[in-house]
Amino acid sequence: MAKLTLCSDWLDVCSGCHMSLLDIDEVLVALLDSVQLLSTPITDLKHPPEEGADIGILTGAVSNDHQEAVAKRMRERVKILISMGDCSVFGGICAMRNFFDAEQVLQYAYTETDSTAPGQQVPRSPEIAKLYPKVRPLRDVVKVDYYIPGCPPSANTIAYVLTELVAGREPKWTDELLRYG
Amino acid sequence: MPDVHVTIDGTEIAVPSGSTVLEAARIAGIEVDTLCDHPAIEPIGACRICLVEVEKQRALQPACTFPVSDGMVVHTRSEKVVGARKFVLQLLFSERNHFCMFCQMSGSCELQNLAYKYELDHWQFNRPMPTYAVDASREYFVMDHNRCILCRRCIRVCDELVGNGTLGLKNRGADAVIIADLDVPFGESSCISCGTCLQVCPTGALMDRASAYMGASDQVERVKSRCMGCPVGCGTELVVRDGQVIRVEGDWDAEPNKGLLCVVGRFDPQHEVRERVRKPLVRQGDAWSIADGEAAYGLVAEKVAAAGDSVATVASGFVTLEEAQALGSAVRGRKFYMYDLPQTDRTATMADLDEADLFIVTEMDLSLDFQVAGMAVKRGVRKRGARLILVGEGENGLADWASMRVGRADLAKVIAMAKSAERPVVVSGPAGLAAAREIVSAVPAASLASFAPGGNGRGLCDAGFGQTYAGDAAKVTVVVAGETSQVEPGLLDALKKQEFVVVVASYREPWDQVADVILPMPTAFEKSGTTVCADGQAGQVVAAMSTRVPTLEATIGMVAEAIR
Repeated sequence: MAKLTLCSDWLDVCSGCHMSLLDIDEVLVALLDSVQLLSTPITDLKHPPEEGADIGILTGAVSNDHQEAVAKRMRERVKILISMGDCSVFGGICAMRNFFDAEQVLQYAYTETDSTAPGQQVPRSPEIAKLYPKVRPLRDVVKVDYYIPGCPPSANTIAYVLTELVAGREPKWTDELLRYG
Repeated sequence: MPDVHVTIDGTEIAVPSGSTVLEAARIAGIEVDTLCDHPAIEPIGACRICLVEVEKQRALQPACTFPVSDGMVVHTRSEKVVGARKFVLQLLFSERNHFCMFCQMSGSCELQNLAYKYELDHWQFNRPMPTYAVDASREYFVMDHNRCILCRRCIRVCDELVGNGTLGLKNRGADAVIIADLDVPFGESSCISCGTCLQVCPTGALMDRASAYMGASDQVERVKSRCMGCPVGCGTELVVRDGQVIRVEGDWDAEPNKGLLCVVGRFDPQHEVRERVRKPLVRQGDAWSIADGEAAYGLVAEKVAAAGDSVATVASGFVTLEEAQALGSAVRGRKFYMYDLPQTDRTATMADLDEADLFIVTEMDLSLDFQVAGMAVKRGVRKRGARLILVGEGENGLADWASMRVGRADLAKVIAMAKSAERPVVVSGPAGLAAAREIVSAVPAASLASFAPGGNGRGLCDAGFGQTYAGDAAKVTVVVAGETSQVEPGLLDALKKQEFVVVVASYREPWDQVADVILPMPTAFEKSGTTVCADGQAGQVVAAMSTRVPTLEATIGMVAEAIR
């Protein structure tokens, strides 16, 4: 049987969800019997191949135009898209900035924090991704098939969901597997 | 009332007529999820989580407010019901800031628990992300309106239980906001910071400054104990994590307070700033040195042995009955209570306060002292229409609840009114006791709730400490203070004149002004024993933390050992 192919990427994120993915430890080794990792932020190949993949995992919220493009490309190229982590599912920590104006946030981050050197400016290069006024969860940008909340989701939850999907079963969130924060 | 027969989830039961569907379901042993409902207050059906399907009713009905009728058939777990509850939860989460990952309530939150139970793995609706103010104007707890789900539990406990009526609501629908008085900062409002709202808030909208992020509900233990701060003797639940009390809550099952506490009992212990006494301290001129145990106990033993019967022992209200008995049998000389003595004749209980139709409060401000008794007076006035007469001049926190204020000279008028009342209760502290006695002796129906400072005053009287200390001369004066901070300047002045003063205390201040030796004493969180409340009921103080500070009994033993 051909192996299932899996891609992952991160958007506005602290990378903790990918750490939790690695935390599934020996389950990862078992999964690799039936899953082939194609692109991830921690492999050489960073982008899902044009010919597509079976499962895509996105962590993090959508905060700027670049992240929206990454999300849409992943959606186009995978059959099943998993939104993983509180930021991706709800907006999470990233959405804390939604209680402020985006320009206010930029000014504070680049010019006003205690650790900012005097004379710093907000970078305005057109090459830099444009910050959206509000942080959005992934589902506001693309269609999502499965949600794994958690900050980060526990390794057990991730292992369970991937194992079920690989086995062709429908994962069901109950009890300890469903946790926020 | 006659029983009516209802069928809930296929189980037919008979319940008292007038029951709500929720009460009937509980009688049948069927759990219906609730959120705005709270056992201590009246249901209002605000949150719609408890929606159930009632046959022959057009729409789903809230179980908490919908009354049963004979032959009613109810479904609490049908697909329609579960779908509606999920929808309600989605709506609740679509408002405001319900991001669990940076909330101190995560792990203890009733909204979060319901979301887990109904398997909300994402939020269905786009979020307007409104921004509300955070009100941090109160010393001990913070109101974050962004976390509020408008269940109105806080408003209802403030009104129904505390009788303060500080909280209310402004605006309509999703824009509704909890306010204090006419929308002033909470810290500048009529709020008395009793924290009852904090205790019932189901989400993270009300945050305890001391215990925020200190432990979720599955990381803490709860120890039922009793407050020793005043003779009301409120039942407490000490919330303990890793051997430390992180928060004090009122015990809903306890008499006389039924879940309520005052600002002092709930918050003071967590905000104590005085220096703890953990090792014996011996005065050397104006300086203090930490003495090794033997030297300090030896010095005390030497003085006590030389003093013979000229020993005066002064106990504060933080001394338990067991500690008092140990002192009584081990220490010679005279025994005193630190404050004015409590009165025990014609005692009114808290239940009497809750049935009174007339309160007469003589020369005391129940908003400052014995506050939980004050809450009973306030809710009696607000909820039952009882009248309140304040006897005495000056500012009084209960003035807004009073229907009449009279001077000491007008007692005849008060007595006349009390005679026409069915259940008059006179509430008094030491200052107003003479007036209170005069009223009670003239009005046979009246009972007297007499409060004196100190938690276990009544127990101490029973244990032989039945005299108020008035600076009586002795060669050795032993002050058993515990953690008391209620110290009159007159007491300190009197102690300064004594030859040799040993203080057994949890905290150094203010005793370092007067003592020659300070010996450590456990706090009420660290010891177990009995305290007797103002109404004569005994309450159990239960240790919630272990300590290396010796018990009072052990301290007595070490001094006795050194004498030998």
